[in-house]
Parts: sequence; structure tokens; C-alpha cells
Amino acid sequence: MPPQSRDLRLDFFRGLALILIFVDHIPENVLSYFTLEAIQFYDAAEVFIFISGYTAGLVYGRTLGSHGVFYATAQILRRAWQLYVAHIFLFVIFIAEVSYTVSTFNNPMYNDEMRVADFLDQPHIAIVKALLLEFQPTFLDILPIYILLLVVFPLVLVGQRLHPLVVLVPSFFVYVVVQIADLSVPAYPEGHVWYFNPLAWQFLFMVAAALGLREARASLPSVRRRALLPSAVIVIAVSLVIKLSWTIHGIWDPFPGLLLKELWPVNKNNLSPIRLIPFFAAVVAVATLVPRGVPFQRSWAKPLILCGRQSLEIFCLGILLSALGHFILSEYNSAVITQLTVNVIGVLVMFLTAKVIDWYKSMGREPTLPAVPARREHERSVRP
Amino acid sequence: MIWRSPAGSILPSALLFAGTMAIAALPPSAPTIAGTTDCDVPAELMQVDHELLLFGQRLRAGEPIKIVAIGGASTTGAAAGSADLAYPHRLQETLAQWYPAIPIDVVNKGVPRQTAQQMLERFPSDVFAEDPVLVIWETGTTDAVRGVEIDDFATALQNGVNELKARSIDGVFVDMQFSRSTMTVIDFERYLNTLHRVGDVNEVNVFPRFEMMRYWSEQNVFNFDGVTKDQRAGLAASVYQCIGQHLAETIRIAVQ
Repeated sequence: MPPQSRDLRLDFFRGLALILIFVDHIPENVLSYFTLEAIQFYDAAEVFIFISGYTAGLVYGRTLGSHGVFYATAQILRRAWQLYVAHIFLFVIFIAEVSYTVSTFNNPMYNDEMRVADFLDQPHIAIVKALLLEFQPTFLDILPIYILLLVVFPLVLVGQRLHPLVVLVPSFFVYVVVQIADLSVPAYPEGHVWYFNPLAWQFLFMVAAALGLREARASLPSVRRRALLPSAVIVIAVSLVIKLSWTIHGIWDPFPGLLLKELWPVNKNNLSPIRLIPFFAAVVAVATLVPRGVPFQRSWAKPLILCGRQSLEIFCLGILLSALGHFILSEYNSAVITQLTVNVIGVLVMFLTAKVIDWYKSMGREPTLPAVPARREHERSVRP
Repeated sequence: MIWRSPAGSILPSALLFAGTMAIAALPPSAPTIAGTTDCDVPAELMQVDHELLLFGQRLRAGEPIKIVAIGGASTTGAAAGSADLAYPHRLQETLAQWYPAIPIDVVNKGVPRQTAQQMLERFPSDVFAEDPVLVIWETGTTDAVRGVEIDDFATALQNGVNELKARSIDGVFVDMQFSRSTMTVIDFERYLNTLHRVGDVNEVNVFPRFEMMRYWSEQNVFNFDGVTKDQRAGLAASVYQCIGQHLAETIRIAVQ
């Protein structure tokens, strides 16, 4: 592993985000009190999209520099295709779960309202809509936006290499328009919208990509991170106090929720500035205060780093495991001890799988390793 | 993220204490209902945070009271077979027993499969036209099933609360029904949290039907497995009866 170029923070925090996404996706889960959501206005979704954008800028920016625009485009579209296939795979599993539940349903108290599977009445339409990414059942909503962002990414990359503002100015403009006009992107069934509004979330991805792309970062006005740090820390502290008070208020009513009436609800679909600003503050703080490599070479960080490195596989596995975990909790037993067991087993399975995939890939790589320059090795292992 | 306080979670003793105090404050004359199903719930689920002002005034003045229950299929009582077996009618029966001197009328305005927004649009014709003192708003199920955008759901609830407050009508939310099997395919959590938070922010009571039914399910009080179709309707009627009685009880606590 080339220590000079590898930023272990990317792997580590992406791995952490994947674990938190798994935990947050099990409804009624006691551990969800202890994820990012409990203490900050943003959650693992922002972390995931940011790091994905950053690594996309980093990796495909290098490819663009060394192999030209056509090869970079091909590489990006290949990745988008992989994500697409993964999404369809998860969709099929979701359909299986719903069909099973619906066909074994025998409680009259819900019959009228719980025709959950309206879309099973018209499978030909539902499946086509899923193939078009317009049908996004709960929890299957983050891959579609990632796919969409990657499909337009070749253009973004070319623009950002000219100058990052060529991309960032229109991107910010669209973000602001969405905030003011409350635009959304329609989905299926009628009346639904994209849960992660691509018109809003693209801004986070574009900013991250500009930071990851070396040429873009060089032409941005040089702001000293240290100078930003005090205000970032203040933003983090204030949002921590407010959000924590909401969390405690949710558990124990007499505790006051600070500014609850004024700030709630905080819009996630459109990536409200209340989420975005504290997140950028956290990015500044982490980038300034957390060193790139040293703290993550300890053994405790290793499993998370491996998960972050195999992000697509571990993401899909996490979604599957949370669906399975939820099924166990709701069909059999939802006691706190079962919840904790489900969480622990799920995380262990994710760690173990990441380890196996890493082993498998390293076996395939080893014979050619000496011939491959350090940079190529890096390219290959850091995946957007 | 879980905003509701789930049964048996952190700080249950404080909640239990508050609930016990609230129940201890009941008038000793409150009669128990004969022939009820045994469907007690933990005291923390009977906790009431906000007083029902207008309802209390009318009650003390001994004036006639009209309550509108607006909601979905579980308000109509379709699963039990008739509106007389639905929870609004049970609510009326129970209140009539407790306050025999006051004419109390509960109007059932349930329409299956409507979102909060669609119910809100019925407010002028179905709610305000009745000139109610108290509105029971049972909502959220269809929104969760259809995956309505969470902000739109919150906005509809907020607009409904605003309209009630503008007319000084008391309101009580009733949240969703609990079912193990639907939990695997429908994400109720966000909608439950939103409903409870809107109640919290606006100081409107939310009747925790979801937690109650979950409690009964865990205690095996009502079991729908392996029963015939006719028996299921009877079972649904028992659930509605329990809901109606507990709702009446929380209303009584809220006017103390």
C-alpha cells in the first residue's frame, strides 16, 4: 500500500458510514440512538455521498490526466453500470420480501389500508419503472442518485478541470433554486418523488468532487483550513447542543428541545442548509484535525477501513442485512437484547465479508504487484 | 431515530410515575365498564401531556358536546363489520356512561385510504360543518403506505392543527395501527415520529395506538393467527372497543 498517496480517512469514514447506514436502516432499533443522527443534523447519507464524490474526483481525475477523456468516461460508465446491476439485484430481493408478506397476510384490520403492494397489481409497469430508476422503494433510494451523478460525471470532470467554478456556480444555483422553489423530481407510483432529490444533493457531490480533483483544488482560491477551523468548531458545537437536546427530548419529554419549533422539520429530501452547513463544518474539522494515515493503522480501525474499501459490496450487503434483521425483529422478537444481537451479527458479517473480498482481490493482484507502479495500485484499490 | 418513547425504554420509571400520578388524580366516582375485554396497557401509554380546554369548559358547563372522528378505514370500523363496532362509537358509549347528564355525540367521518392531506381537504365539509368541540384525527397509515414525502405529511398535519387552533377546537391525534407483518414492508417509523413531533411542537395530544397495539401483540392479548374469518371480525371489534375505551380515558384525564 503506498503510504504517500493513500488517504485512509476516506476508507475509514466511508466504512463507518456504511455501518451506520446498516444500523439506521433497521427500524425500531435501539442502537439508532447512537448514530450520527442523534447528535448532528446530517447523517451517514451525507458522509456517503461526500466521500463518493471526493473519490470520484480523485480517481477519475487521475485517469483523465493519464489516459484521456474517453477512457475516463468508459471507466465511470462501467462503475455506474455496476451500481445499476447492484440496485436491480436489491430490488428483486425487496420484491420477494413484499410478495411473501402480502401473500401470507391474514389480518382484516389492515386489509383496507394496507394494500402495500399496489404495484404488484401492475408488475409489468412496476418493474419497468424500477429499471428506469423511477421506482425507489424505501431504503433503495441512495443508489439511484449515485448512479445518476456518475452518468453525468464525465461532463462534470471535464468542466471542473477547466475551472471548478464552471461546475460549482451552476450547481450552487440549482441547489438554491431547489431550496426556494421546493422543486422535486417525480418518481413512481404517481405522487412520489426521488427521496434524495438529485437537484439538491448534486451540490454536495460536486463540491466533494472538486475537492478530490487535484487540478480543481489547485485553482480554487486558497483558503487556509486553519482559519476556517474556529467557525467550523462553533457550528459543530451549536448544532450538537441543539440536536442532542432534541434527541433527549424525544426520549424524555420534560427535557426541552432547543429551537425545536423554529427549526423542525429539517428537510432531508432537499438537503436543507441546516444539514449541509454543519456537515461542511465537520469536513473542515476532520480535514484539519485528523491526520491522513497514522490513527487508522491501528488494528481497531482495520475492519472499518476494509469495509470502506469494498464500499459497493458492503453497502449492498448492509441493505440486505438490515432487511433481514428487520424481518427477524418483527416476525419473532423485538426485545432490546435481540436488537443488539442483530446489530452485532450484522456488523460482524459485514466485517468478515470485507475481509474475504480484500483477501480475494489481493490474491488476484499479488503476482503482478511488483510490475505495477504505486499510483496504478492506488487507482485500482480506491474505488468511487 | 426513535422519537417516541418506546415501551420499556430509557427512563420508563419516570414515565410510569407520571402516568400513575395522572391516574391517581382521577375522580373516585369514575365507574369501570362492565363486560370489557382485558386490554390494560402500561400507565406510560395512558400519559396525557396537554389539557383539552374547550372540551373541559363545555363539560363543566354541562353543555352538549359534539366530537368528530376523522380518519381512515380503522375509523370506519370496516374490519369489525359495522360503524357501531368502530372505536368512535365505543368512545361515545364510554363517555356517555361517565357523563350521563351531558349529551355527547361522536360523529364518524372515516373514509378508507386517504392521506393526511386528503383528510385535511375534508375538514370544511366533514369537520367544521359539524361544529365540533373536539376533533379526533386518526391519520398516517395511508401516507406511510404510499410513501408520501415526509415534509408534505408534516405540512398537512401542521395545517390541520392550525385550522383547529384558529377555531379554538380541541384536537387529539390517533397514530397508526401496529401489525408485525406490515412492519417488514412499510416504514412507519418516520411517519410515527413526524406525527408525534407535530403533536409535541403544537401541544396536541397524540393517542399512542401503535404502541398499545404493539403491547397487546407482545402480550398475546389479541392473536389473529389461526382464527376463522368470522372470529377475526369479532377480534377486530374487541380491539376497536379497547381503543375506544382507552381513548375515552385519556380524554377524561385531559380535562382534569
